[in-house]
Amino acid sequence: MKRREISRRSVLQGSLMASFLAGTASYFGPWKENRVWAQGAAKPIKLGLTCDASGQYGNSGQDDLRGIQMAIDEANTKGGVLGRKITWITADTETTPATGSRLAERFITREDCTILIGAVHSGVANAITQVAAKNGVIYLNTNSSAPSEAGENCSRIKFVWDGNGTNFSKASVANAVNSIGKNWMLLTNDYVWGHTTSAATKAQVEAAGGKVVDNLLVPQNTRDFTAYLLKIQQAKPDVVATAIGGDDIKALREQVAQLKLDGKPAWINNQQDWPDVWGSPDSLFGVFGTTWYHKLALPGVADFVKKWQATNKEGSIPVPGNVSYNGYMATRELLRAIERAGSTNNVKIIKELENLKVSATDRMQHFDAYMDPVTHQMQQTIYLARRNPKPADKTDLYEIISWTEPKAVADTDAQAKCKLVPYEQIPTVDS
Amino acid sequence: MFDLLPHILNGLTLGLLFALIALGFMLIVGLMEQINLAHGSLFALGAYFAMQLMGPRPPFPADLAQSWLALPLGWRYAATLILAPAAVGVVGIAIEFCMRRTYGKDPLYGLLLTFGAAMVIEEMIRLTWGTRDYVLQVPQAVNGGFIFGDLIWSTYRFYAAGIAVAVIGLVWLLIEKTSFGATVKAGAHDSEIVRALGINLTRLRLLVFVFGTMLAAIAGIIVAPIWGIRPHMGVDAVIPAFLVIVLGGVGSFWGAVVAGLLVGLAVGLSGAYASEWSLLSMYVLLVAVVTFRARGLWGKKSVLEA
Amino acid sequence: MIPTPQSNSARLITPTMLVLWLVLATVPLWIGRAGLYPYLGIEILIWSLYALAFNLVLGTAGLPSFGHGAYFGIGAYAFGLCQFNVVANLWVCLAAAFAVAGLAGALVALFISHRRGIYYAFMTIAFGQIFWTLAIKSHKVTGGEDGLLKIARLPADFGFASFDLAGNVAFYYFVLMVFGIAVIALWRLVHSPYGRVIAAIKQSEIRAAHLGYNVWLYKASIFALSAAVSGFAGGLFAMAQLAAFPDVMSLHQSGYVVMMTLVGGGLVSFWGPVIGVFLFLIARDVIGAMTNAWMLYFGLLFIAVVLFRPEGVAGAVMAAWQNRSLNSMRKQGGTALRLLVGGGRWR
Repeated sequence: MKRREISRRSVLQGSLMASFLAGTASYFGPWKENRVWAQGAAKPIKLGLTCDASGQYGNSGQDDLRGIQMAIDEANTKGGVLGRKITWITADTETTPATGSRLAERFITREDCTILIGAVHSGVANAITQVAAKNGVIYLNTNSSAPSEAGENCSRIKFVWDGNGTNFSKASVANAVNSIGKNWMLLTNDYVWGHTTSAATKAQVEAAGGKVVDNLLVPQNTRDFTAYLLKIQQAKPDVVATAIGGDDIKALREQVAQLKLDGKPAWINNQQDWPDVWGSPDSLFGVFGTTWYHKLALPGVADFVKKWQATNKEGSIPVPGNVSYNGYMATRELLRAIERAGSTNNVKIIKELENLKVSATDRMQHFDAYMDPVTHQMQQTIYLARRNPKPADKTDLYEIISWTEPKAVADTDAQAKCKLVPYEQIPTVDS
Repeated sequence: MFDLLPHILNGLTLGLLFALIALGFMLIVGLMEQINLAHGSLFALGAYFAMQLMGPRPPFPADLAQSWLALPLGWRYAATLILAPAAVGVVGIAIEFCMRRTYGKDPLYGLLLTFGAAMVIEEMIRLTWGTRDYVLQVPQAVNGGFIFGDLIWSTYRFYAAGIAVAVIGLVWLLIEKTSFGATVKAGAHDSEIVRALGINLTRLRLLVFVFGTMLAAIAGIIVAPIWGIRPHMGVDAVIPAFLVIVLGGVGSFWGAVVAGLLVGLAVGLSGAYASEWSLLSMYVLLVAVVTFRARGLWGKKSVLEA
Repeated sequence: MIPTPQSNSARLITPTMLVLWLVLATVPLWIGRAGLYPYLGIEILIWSLYALAFNLVLGTAGLPSFGHGAYFGIGAYAFGLCQFNVVANLWVCLAAAFAVAGLAGALVALFISHRRGIYYAFMTIAFGQIFWTLAIKSHKVTGGEDGLLKIARLPADFGFASFDLAGNVAFYYFVLMVFGIAVIALWRLVHSPYGRVIAAIKQSEIRAAHLGYNVWLYKASIFALSAAVSGFAGGLFAMAQLAAFPDVMSLHQSGYVVMMTLVGGGLVSFWGPVIGVFLFLIARDVIGAMTNAWMLYFGLLFIAVVLFRPEGVAGAVMAAWQNRSLNSMRKQGGTALRLLVGGGRWR
């Protein structure tokens, strides 16, 4: 795999021809590798990392990849898993479902990967899930936070590691209705994730005795929010809850910051991903959710950050954030589950992951986390944060204002929506 | 009615931005009858160059960088407004040198060539600056908001709209009121006569194309603080630019400006009263107009439609 | 005109087709050893069919359509929705994909067939964007960005025998069979009297109109037909992916099919689009596995083709094959390109 790394760097240096040749070499690389282990003793366990490198989530996808690689490197330094080395391969899923399908097919049938890891976009995650399920290959959805991932689109072979829109709404809404005000306005991206997240927020607002005065649907790819901001000012709600994602939230953030609209009304944003925040730190506004922060005052966090930085010196992002963290945790727990199962049989690993419990210390979060065996979503601490008025250094952008235990924010409706196939119906996979 | 006014005002400022985005595209289509699909990527490149110039690591030798950083933000910004488009103009020269081979042939050659160039530029941006987002700093004077009629308005937006008006006005003066403009217009329609008059047509075309790419870059710099900077931002610009030209009609300067304003009003008003349809409204507007008017609003006969 | 010897155009099945099918039929036997995998073969065949359908509009009729992904996507959704809501029968649902995409194409054709050049091109883009947005918006029907999932590869029931298509190799052979039939149909269409009128319209709309042909009707019908076959390919793609997503309908993806068709040489050869798809998809897979910047290389290649080989790969190959000078082919490519936007004016 190292050779592939070199080829990418030489592209960066602008030497197109050299990189083309190096790339050709690496293309034939896996063949040599296969022959080596065919003669050797322990065959490595091969993971396919389906991370976006271009398109809307290219930035987040590469941060995900950094976390995943870190967990793999750690396992390999300890001598691998079940005495076997872990190898991996990655390619750009382009934030495009069709590419996700094709790469999943390639990794499974051509590269002999027995486990796939990595996702940010729910469509890409689902495309990969379809292929993985057909082949019985385990797939870790590290970072797609669509509630449907652990609801109607759940799968026996898929495990979801991020908190979803419903979790974040539950953590923030009731409190805000009581402390800020009862008149709410919703700003919703007009696609599935936006709609489900806003529906969860609306239910929470009404349950707490508040009222949703208006719900503005914002088309995907909106770059100019002035019309919506004027409308909000005219309606004068107490709180605006947004379910705006992708590039749209970045544009919205810029425009709210320019107007200094932050504060009146109060803004509640759903999850903010660290790779997106790092691009425009000055425009953070309102209250938002996250699953992890690199300055949590918990044992192990500082060490983790140091180790991450040691392997990612040249990256565009200086510290790990929630996306890298989710990628790391998912991969680490998977490798541990293989070790515990004492086997690479897919059903045995799935059963281990379904009973997964991780202590707060081990998670570097405030509460113990556990895998919901019915929905395959990791139930974890949900943090609320806002822009840090007194940053300790230039990466210290968040002020963590609350943490909620997993049970209190569980997406209780998901269990009814998710139907997992019985174990017998999964094709057996063993590496 | 008073509820409606802010949205009309918003639509008009937005429309001016659309017109600005379309301006360079229009110039190349109108004067050279070439469709420059790299317009969006050049727009993005302008924003990236400006960001690099305004950021903490300007692309200068060490001592020059020192004195550059010592300048007040406003001065640096003003200089960037000239330097970044000039740098993009150099890229424009490279594209024009390739495009030269396609002159006299069909304009589709140019369209396809620039489509390829757009792919290459976007990928180059990704390799150079990575996939992350950037923010373009602007001087305090044009930042922030002001209160008007009980509503907070973005100062930057009105500044941007003002720049749009100024740039549109200057371009119009240049084309309509100078001898350079007259030669260029003649060259586009009758290259034989221009050549007979002893004017260097090759250089003329190069100038027009580079001018168009520089206008794309200026639009990128002006729009960047509103949209943010990321590798695929060019796509967000080239489609509206193309749409505005087709709606206004090929070869019509004021057609494009009015089309920009119409698109802005459609997006702004639908944003307020039928928010979920706001982005579709521009396509519906186009279909409605072009279904009934063969050449958009005021299009002229052109080799682009025969 | 399409530069194929007259004898071939009259045939139902040409030698080229036979050779191509024979080679394609052996693909599953060696594709693994070539460092590729069966699914890639499926994708290539489906995209080839899509590109051939697209080339009815671009190459045969000379109409610049830049939003064709919409019909490919509509076909995929129609296939899935038919399977879930009407009847889970392969033939019915593929017919539905064909019909629904064809209807959408016919509807759009009503609005655009009296337009030419840049106005025609942008109208197709506008409709493409409208369909794409609607697919994302109507997520209760389409699943939005999550996709319409769990689409099954329905068994192919021939009455006397039924084949399970769940495996990639079985599905590959099914797609190959369908591809073969479609190629014959498209070949016949292009070389039929109808196809010749279309080609005449491409040469000069005015001349064709003077000869008494209803130009509008021909332009509209070829567009609808192309949309229908694209939708049919989309239905197959939904089966391949086991799902349907809005992304194939985006302008970006619509641009790919234009690129593939042109690089391959769709303007001068019936087989151009197929060559383009093979090149594009294999290059993407191979280069994409070693660098994330594959679009850079493909962009450069594309620029080079436009600048130096407007006749495309097919043109270059045919020139060598038929022992004709490259220059004449290049002229032919240039002429075809000119006709595309010039709409029939010789300059």
